[in-house]
Amino acid sequence: MVLSSLLFLSSGLFLGWSLGANDVSNIFGAAVGSKMIKFRTAALIASVFVIAGAVFGGSSTTQTLTNLGEVNALAGSFMVALSAALGVYFMAKAGLTTSSSQAIVGAIIGWNLYADKPTDLSVLFKIVLSWVLCPIFAALIAVGLYFALRYLIKKMRLHILRQNEYLRVALVVSGALCTYALGANNIANVMGVFVDTISFEGFKIGALALGQKQILFLLGGIAISAGVFTYAQKVMETIGSHLIKISPFTALVIIVSQALVLFMFTSPFLKNLLSSFGLFSLPLVPVSSTQAVIGAILGIGLLKGGRGVNWSVIGRIVTGWLTTPLIALIVCFVGLFFVENVFRQVVFIP
Amino acid sequence: MFKVKFSLFAHTKELERKIDELHDKIIEISMVFKKAVHLFLQEKRSLNYRQLSKEIKTIEHDADILRRSIENSLYAQNLIPDFRGDVLELVENLDKVINEFDEVAHQLYLENPDVPETYHKPLEDLVAQVSECAENLAFASRAFFKDFSAVRNYSKKVYFMEHESDKTAAKLTEEIFASNLELAHKLQLKTIISEVADIADLAENCVDQLLIYVIKRDI
Repeated sequence: MVLSSLLFLSSGLFLGWSLGANDVSNIFGAAVGSKMIKFRTAALIASVFVIAGAVFGGSSTTQTLTNLGEVNALAGSFMVALSAALGVYFMAKAGLTTSSSQAIVGAIIGWNLYADKPTDLSVLFKIVLSWVLCPIFAALIAVGLYFALRYLIKKMRLHILRQNEYLRVALVVSGALCTYALGANNIANVMGVFVDTISFEGFKIGALALGQKQILFLLGGIAISAGVFTYAQKVMETIGSHLIKISPFTALVIIVSQALVLFMFTSPFLKNLLSSFGLFSLPLVPVSSTQAVIGAILGIGLLKGGRGVNWSVIGRIVTGWLTTPLIALIVCFVGLFFVENVFRQVVFIP
Repeated sequence: MFKVKFSLFAHTKELERKIDELHDKIIEISMVFKKAVHLFLQEKRSLNYRQLSKEIKTIEHDADILRRSIENSLYAQNLIPDFRGDVLELVENLDKVINEFDEVAHQLYLENPDVPETYHKPLEDLVAQVSECAENLAFASRAFFKDFSAVRNYSKKVYFMEHESDKTAAKLTEEIFASNLELAHKLQLKTIISEVADIADLAENCVDQLLIYVIKRDI
């Protein structure tokens, strides 16, 4: 039973692995590429905090995905996660900006269509709105942070060496926070669809009690960590030294902006706080950390006069909003047909 | 009793101190050099001049040790990785200015040239100008590590003094060649004047690079 559960879970773990390799690289890429932080340090911090974020903060975004479509059979969950992973793979292969958050939504809608279940359009609208808002918020936060930090650094008149060491510490701390936020926000993509279909017995170590959901998220977190350790070094070095030249200061602004955006779409506390002031309540949705990074970079680029800003990137983001879920939807629909009719597995309970 | 000293930024503080000391050496060597040339014009290769020449040599030697130590620390402790190359280049160039002071002082000692009294005043003016140039380079470079906005102010002074020193050196060389001195004597004096003026040229090159680093680094 456990073995078959793990077999079905493998597609989610694979999605987690690719999240670790790509999204965590976005967080620490500039810092590792510019040799401010060693890869091993970054990987260790990322692993610990991504797992902590997933286990202790991953519930809120999972609920939104469950509201979109309550996948109710294990083989169905397997196919949903696999289609999301394949959607991400195809998009990445085509050189387009992609996100597991968008792929999983498409795959869930694919399952809804196959199982003839209704898709809650208000939830879908909230999710799509979050995709649009995510890079915009990241850009706005990055611009504000850039101004504030630049003013602070110039005001403090620190020695370059001291400034650099403070920057190194800030990169480590903000990187840790950001990976925590990534784990909390994105674990729903990796394990969310398995929450209602797989069962594990909870266990207790001292004061730490882990329920079924937490164990599931722990496994997802470990898969993300595995992605960090096995593949992220290459991606980080590419980001930091070959693809784009980002100074450690800009890297810090990008990481903090990304962390704040991820928290905004993850934290029930923040949601309640905004609601209590009668302000716009942000949906708790898994968002794309890659698009948050791109948003932050574009924000800083525009602040510097727009020189060197690659406008086609924006086109690619918007294309990603449509194509990633669409590919995942189609793959999921076709895949569910095969799993049900060829492999004789129950993919949904009517 | 054991005293355990722990500081997160202990290495950085030590390196900051060394960089500061290197700047001090430039100011120190330019002041001693000014004094040495004045003494040389009065006493030529006297025991007192030898003493000052030795002092200059010691400063240059200490600066070399500092430079090597700064370079080693930057790499060994993986400090300012994105900016290390520029700082290394800057430190090398500061050291070149210090070396040039030492070379001229040593040349005066070795050649013991006879400088006619009419040229004493312009030569001392030239030495004062190049020394001021080097001192302002030290201020600019020190500011580079802490306050970018001040680099421009000191750089302006370096450019101005370098231009002045060029004019003084050209005028002095012209006067020497218009005199009745032997050609060999004229050439010897011209070489020394040109070596002294080179100090300001090296300082100017260093400031050129400093300003580029500021543009590169400014956030």
